[in-house]
Amino acid sequence: MTPKEALASPWLTVRVQIALGLFFVAAALPKLVDPPSFAHMIYNYRLVPGALVNLMALVMPWLELLAGLALILGIWTRTSAGLVGALLLVFLVAISLNLARDNAIDCGCFDVASANRTVDERLADMRLDILRDLGMLLMVAQILWAKGRGLDAAKRPLRS
Amino acid sequence: MSLRRHLLEAATLVLAAILCALVANALASRERKLALVGSYPNALKVPENGAVRQEAPLEATPAAAAPGKLPFEEKRPGPATASAPKASAPSQGSEAKTSSSSPADLLRRFPPHDKPYVEISGDDAAWLIARGVLTLDARRTKVYEEGHIALARSFPVWESDIDARVTAFVGEGRDGAIPVVLYCSGGDCEDSHLLAQKLFGAGFNNLLVYRDGWPDWVKRGGSSATGPES
Repeated sequence: MTPKEALASPWLTVRVQIALGLFFVAAALPKLVDPPSFAHMIYNYRLVPGALVNLMALVMPWLELLAGLALILGIWTRTSAGLVGALLLVFLVAISLNLARDNAIDCGCFDVASANRTVDERLADMRLDILRDLGMLLMVAQILWAKGRGLDAAKRPLRS
Repeated sequence: MSLRRHLLEAATLVLAAILCALVANALASRERKLALVGSYPNALKVPENGAVRQEAPLEATPAAAAPGKLPFEEKRPGPATASAPKASAPSQGSEAKTSSSSPADLLRRFPPHDKPYVEISGDDAAWLIARGVLTLDARRTKVYEEGHIALARSFPVWESDIDARVTAFVGEGRDGAIPVVLYCSGGDCEDSHLLAQKLFGAGFNNLLVYRDGWPDWVKRGGSSATGPES
């Protein structure tokens, strides 16, 4: 088995799918339990117009939950992986912009309780958050690539 | 064809998420509910390392003072221990007891201003609170119930009924020039600033944000209470 084949193997892809799905379900639950705190987190990013803050705080956790569950259950895998990828890109841009303008924020990724941390601690955590999101983006890429290869193989005519 | 299918699936997931969000929000308790359309001034304004903060021009300016009877003094309930379910003992300091002070004194020291809010120190907050100035707590209801400044009223700025509370507050017919102290959790907490912006928009122009908020009040041993607002 070549490295390429190993990377695209169904064995690996299923595990990546489940791990990524679990990450997103875990991220969604605290936000679903306490939408006002999540709205506060979104507000702190200073990127969303005031009128849309609450709507985003209500819908985004459900999107994370549904996309995560779809990945775990293997339903609409490419679509849900694509949605997860789009969400990760949004998170990456949002955190990077705030890091660039020194606006130290709590990520609100897996926890909506604001911790009493210093500005430096927050900025350091934001850098780690970016790395974590990039790692998850790689997981999305693996799923999309492996599923794409699988489809291509299925479409290829059988040789006699 | 495949792209169209994926787009349809994505749209289905997004619609399902919106539907779930609306249903869950409709069924949520008051503390966990959100107004669908938020009203947060400065949602796009980045704080410049605490630049949202402004120091109070607290010098006496008699010209700006407008002596008169303080309407809130009549409406305020009794002492902290009587109104709060579990009021703690007042602090040992002289500020813990309500001192007598004329409205003119208050307004001379804290004249109305044209800013949404002015930040004040713990000493100023203690001085005002000791004189019975109305105090508003902008933190979440649950946190308020765990402990708040005695006689402070709860205005949880991140909960769904905040606009209704503000409207009801405005309907009480208070004089907007009379100082009101607002506080939250100190540090980089901006809930009291957000509440001040809402009240400023409703015609209040003497809003004083207690910069260091609840943690500072506890440190000072100020008079406090627990439990829901009476």
